Amino acid sequence: MEIGLLLIAGGVATGLFGSLLGLGGGVLLVPLLTLGFDLPVREAVGVSLVCVIITSAASATVFLDRGVANLRLGMVLELFTAIGALIGGTIAFLLDERFLAGLFSLLLLYTAVTMLRPRGTDAATEPEAPEADLADAPAQTSRTRLGDAMSGASYRLRNPIPGAFGGVGGGVMSALLGIGGGLVMVPVMHVVMRVPLRVATATSNFMIGVTASTSALVYLLKGGIDPYATGPAAIGVFVGAAMGSRMAHRVDVGMLRLLFAAVLTYTAFLMARRALGVQ
Amino acid sequence: MTPAGTTRGPGRPLEATVSTVLKVGTYAGIALVAVGVVLMVVDGRSPLDVAPSLDLGRLPADMAALHPSGFLWLGVLLVLTTPPARVLAALIGYLRGREREMAIVALLILVVIALGVFAGTTGS
Repeated sequence: MEIGLLLIAGGVATGLFGSLLGLGGGVLLVPLLTLGFDLPVREAVGVSLVCVIITSAASATVFLDRGVANLRLGMVLELFTAIGALIGGTIAFLLDERFLAGLFSLLLLYTAVTMLRPRGTDAATEPEAPEADLADAPAQTSRTRLGDAMSGASYRLRNPIPGAFGGVGGGVMSALLGIGGGLVMVPVMHVVMRVPLRVATATSNFMIGVTASTSALVYLLKGGIDPYATGPAAIGVFVGAAMGSRMAHRVDVGMLRLLFAAVLTYTAFLMARRALGVQ
Repeated sequence: MTPAGTTRGPGRPLEATVSTVLKVGTYAGIALVAVGVVLMVVDGRSPLDVAPSLDLGRLPADMAALHPSGFLWLGVLLVLTTPPARVLAALIGYLRGREREMAIVALLILVVIALGVFAGTTGS
């Protein structure tokens, strides 16, 4: 029972800090479950996938109601992230746990580096892509009816094919590591497809549900999701994320980003040790 | 007039429907998981205990007997099936609005998810 309460508290902390720092819950939850509760990496990924679906759905409804998320663009891209998630969910059960731990270690290092970057150059915080750039839209710009449907009122979608490939990559990463995929999809939409940042962020959040549920169903049916571990973690992350979204505009996250960059780097070191079989 | 940066076209009612499906499914799922967690605490079960595997036929009996696993499994299932349900809602909306391309996209997403279910039930 004490472990259950500890897991709820850990979930609250990961949901809260994940929300404040703009990280998906999975980046913090998988190491917590693996290093803190000694769950196998694959089982931690299964738990994390359920948690990211819950947290993303809660905010996706807000983005949809406010008209920020682009439903059509999200649905076309999530076809490709779902294909990636299907591939990733299937190969996750063929890969060695230590390989997954090593991959996660690299993800943590990458996340730590992005948190240390000046905010203006961070893909998740950089100024908006040029909008209303219809005049300089060359052959790479989508000119199909579907492309028109996916474009916004003040922006036209570019580079749909590289965007689709990025979606497959994001889906594979999500399925292997139990993350939402925003680390991949926000830069793909914003930088490659020239979608304004706030639309890219909202649309990426909307897409997480289908991406994660595709691989989570594979995990579930292969016995990779444990309800006893999932329940307390999911409740904790849900409560923590709700708290974080209410506190976000009142908290100066500058120092918090530095602190978490250090924590993520140390966690990457621990995951690397696990990958190398060093106890 | 659509605000700058948002979706163009007459899609708002469909987005409201998709949002409602997401809200209902997610909050119902999290409520069931919360009941399961309370029952875990009452039963003194640890998250590290071995949980019974998913057996759809046993769920009603487990829930009637107030076993935590029944509520937890149903909650998890609801959470996992909510995103496909909102794709289905969008598919119906696109078919009604005669948006053939988007209807095909929605259908293909459901096919990929179905392939995932197939992949999960084979070769394990």
